[in-house]
Amino acid sequence: MSIIYKKAYWWTFAVFIGFIITDVAKAQSDNTGERRVTGTYIITNANVAYPSGKIQSNTSILVKNGMITAVGKNIASPSNAHHIKGDSLFIYPGFIDGGSTAGVTKPKDPERPSNFNSASPPDDIAGITPYRNALDYFDLGNAQVSEWRKAGFTMAQILPEGGMLPGQTALVIFGDKTSTNIYSENTALYATFNASRGMYPGTLLGVMAKFRSLYRNAELSSQHSALFASNQGINRPERDKVLEAFYPTLDKSLPILFAVEDDLTVRRALGLQRELGFRMILSGASNVEEIIPILKDSQTAVFLSLKLPEDKISKIKEDEESDFERKERIDRIKSSYTKALEEAGKFEKAGIAFGFSSQGIKSADLMKNIRLMIANGLSEEAALAALTLNPARILGIDRYTGTVEQGKLANLVITTDSLFKEDSQVKYVFADGYLFEYDTKAKKTRSETTDEVDLAGTWTYVARSPQGDSQGQMVIARESNVYTGEITLDNPAGSGQITTAMNNIEYNNNRLRFEFSIDLGGNYLTFSVSGDIDGDEFDGDLSVTDLGSFPFKATKQPGA
Amino acid sequence: MRKLIFIFSAFLIFGTASAQTKKGDLLIKNATVITVTDGILEDTDILVENGLIRRIGKGLSGGNGTTIDAKGKYVMPGIIDAHSHIALDVVNEATSPITSEVWMGDVIDPYDIGIYRALAGGTTISHAMHGSANAIGGQNVTLKHRYGTRNPEDLIMKEAPRTIKFALGENPTRVHGRNNNIQPRTRMGVEAVIRNGFSEAQQYKRRWSEYDQAQKQRNSTAVPPKYDARLQTLVDILDGKVIIHCHSYRADEIYMLINVCKDFDIKNIVFSHVNEGFKVAPELAEYTMGASVFADWWAYKFEVYYSTAFNAAILNRNGVVTSINSDSGELIRHLYHEAAKTQRYGGLTDQEALELITINPAKQLGIADKVGSIEVGKQADLVIFDSHPLSVYAIPQMTFVDGVKYFDINEDNHDQRIRVSATEMVEPIYLKEHEHKCMHNVDFLFSNFGRNLFDHNH
Repeated sequence: MSIIYKKAYWWTFAVFIGFIITDVAKAQSDNTGERRVTGTYIITNANVAYPSGKIQSNTSILVKNGMITAVGKNIASPSNAHHIKGDSLFIYPGFIDGGSTAGVTKPKDPERPSNFNSASPPDDIAGITPYRNALDYFDLGNAQVSEWRKAGFTMAQILPEGGMLPGQTALVIFGDKTSTNIYSENTALYATFNASRGMYPGTLLGVMAKFRSLYRNAELSSQHSALFASNQGINRPERDKVLEAFYPTLDKSLPILFAVEDDLTVRRALGLQRELGFRMILSGASNVEEIIPILKDSQTAVFLSLKLPEDKISKIKEDEESDFERKERIDRIKSSYTKALEEAGKFEKAGIAFGFSSQGIKSADLMKNIRLMIANGLSEEAALAALTLNPARILGIDRYTGTVEQGKLANLVITTDSLFKEDSQVKYVFADGYLFEYDTKAKKTRSETTDEVDLAGTWTYVARSPQGDSQGQMVIARESNVYTGEITLDNPAGSGQITTAMNNIEYNNNRLRFEFSIDLGGNYLTFSVSGDIDGDEFDGDLSVTDLGSFPFKATKQPGA
Repeated sequence: MRKLIFIFSAFLIFGTASAQTKKGDLLIKNATVITVTDGILEDTDILVENGLIRRIGKGLSGGNGTTIDAKGKYVMPGIIDAHSHIALDVVNEATSPITSEVWMGDVIDPYDIGIYRALAGGTTISHAMHGSANAIGGQNVTLKHRYGTRNPEDLIMKEAPRTIKFALGENPTRVHGRNNNIQPRTRMGVEAVIRNGFSEAQQYKRRWSEYDQAQKQRNSTAVPPKYDARLQTLVDILDGKVIIHCHSYRADEIYMLINVCKDFDIKNIVFSHVNEGFKVAPELAEYTMGASVFADWWAYKFEVYYSTAFNAAILNRNGVVTSINSDSGELIRHLYHEAAKTQRYGGLTDQEALELITINPAKQLGIADKVGSIEVGKQADLVIFDSHPLSVYAIPQMTFVDGVKYFDINEDNHDQRIRVSATEMVEPIYLKEHEHKCMHNVDFLFSNFGRNLFDHNH
């Protein structure tokens, strides 16, 4: 091919493409006014986190159509670029979440057949749906996605919701709603120790046995399929989509992402892995400090939970009267609490390149928890790596993202100050090259809010769960500093709303905690709510044993 | 597949490869040694090396371990509890009448303070069993109380043979029949479930042996059958590799299962609870590996009204290998008292009474060649008592497993927990049991049969 010919070829091609683009633009005039004016951005004169971990000042970044096209000093600004003055701003790679349920809804439970037998239920009713795809239940428009994006996350491995084998995970970008934002699907087969209610496998015992059985039978079934494919006179293999979903895990081409909680669940997952031989990634680990050496030796990839225990112990008053035994007990709880905060730092010291998974926490706690980890031994570099490059490597996407470098996806977090500083706030997020801008305000100092707000009155609340928002009222009364209250909520067992007492109301330093229980046919389910009061606003979360926690916001009604 | 089954069985028997558990060196001097199998030796020393009893005699010296002067004290073999549910996260997989594929080794909770409490009562081995919800329950695991480890595998007595839980009578018929309207609803149904299970297992075994035969042909294109851990376990029972421990109360149901075992040529069976065992003592003596009973516990439901505290003595004197078990995190702390009750009710000798909690349960668990008595070559699971263990005043002073001291009354701290919650001042043990399990399982009745201090219901 001659050079002239090549040039001509490219010229024709460019004209052709240009024609298509202008044609599209003409054909779809944007009467909503929502489409962005340009896909080119230049952020100038900012402090940029380089892959080395060093912060380089006076640096500019050029973003074009979803990709970082230049990082450095003296970058010429294209005429069509949206210019963001980066003075005093800090730019980091967009965060990557190793295990997220943001925007994912739980599929409806299928109807039980009339001949339902709890001893051998159909797989889909028993929570065994490894053929499902998280993407089919994912909604980018869900408010949780916006909240996590606002916290700095630009990519997430989304987890399907369900029972012991909910389905396959997918990698999504928290980008613009006009795009599909799918990075890749079927990135892992997601496994949990969740038992089914009232049917087999009804406990951890059954889940362990069922997992082994499915894996073994997947091996045999794939063997059968292979025989059938290459021989005559073989019985037709019975197609089974559950077993077929396991096939790519047998040759380790697809990892199994195991949801774990503590050291015992990690050991159980490791036991299955050693026994059956699949490739494994752990998601949601905490309280695993004691088995760091085992994780390191087995080179198991780990997403630590971003959840930290609540600090209850600092509120317990240790008076002189406390007996020795009580003091000893408090000391042990304190050391357990500190240990939980130190865990991420210990992983760093052991040289394990862990990531994080957000499942089970609310976005507002992200930086609070990471700062606590940093205050307890985790270096800022390691914290940043755990949010960016480490998960990119674990997920095998570090060629495309995880650092601020030319040629990588334009996923960036831009903050008003050095990322982990107490009053640093997210000002911009680039996800997939789309710009998201956030209001930043000078944070109130503690002294402005120390005056305790009187809780008494009527509050309206919104609790946000993956199933949707639920709303209701809290009516709180006060009698000589003792609060009592009632909360109304959607009746879980029918229509309308029910009212139940708010128990164990604790309120100090503008932090409110309470619990309430609902009766599910003899079984009481207890919810606990905790969060901060700021004026007439309450911002907290609602947690349910074993089901996770959800944002819970309330507003006090004026005059009530 | 044969290889696959072998690997799987090996996993069940040995657990996965892991580091060796701790083994101790020890010299106990001048004790009154209750050997159980060789009488009482006054003023005698026991030398322990690397977790095993090396020498028993007078004037012993040497060894690399600590020396304990036990003058005026009694040393007996570690107490063995043939029916327990401590150190388990889950007890029942109550969703199917047969769950022989599940294994209690999967749900060991090494943090259970109950292990330490058992040690404080001189119990060094417990048989951590599946519950009694199903006609054929899960496979059990024999635990050595190596308290302090965070690794569940360290608690497993790897030398112990496999055992499995069966259950007859009211529990399986209530859970499956009355609650779920599936078989078994009656005692006849329980028998049918068990017989059907074994018949299916025979067919399963045949399918695999035909496949294995075909695989030996050159260029075989034999299609592998489905793998079924449930039936494979039943095959292993038929092949004599697994000991049945069957929850039972009434004489008729006990005799029924003996007949089923005869029909399927199953030799390894122990009956648990056996409240009406005294009515079929000769049959139990002739055909079974024994009966594991309560000292005096009955009338908590209809099928246990016809009971007597003389049961253990009657069984024992009829030649049944008899043990006294706890089935409780509380009774496991004083099985020596439970054993002593057979002297008040039935007049058993000291020797006979102590056999009920040492060598006899060891025989029932298939570990009598390793533990259950103080003999040279056996594992050094030992308890030092301040007075004769059958005295009502007896208090265990030190408890050793494999020659390692896991309990010492002089080093007993306020708080012996291994793991402590980061948030809870009082960890809600019973509440957790209730809320946690009932959310995870079907309901409380299903999950645990009230297996707590407030509600004894076996």
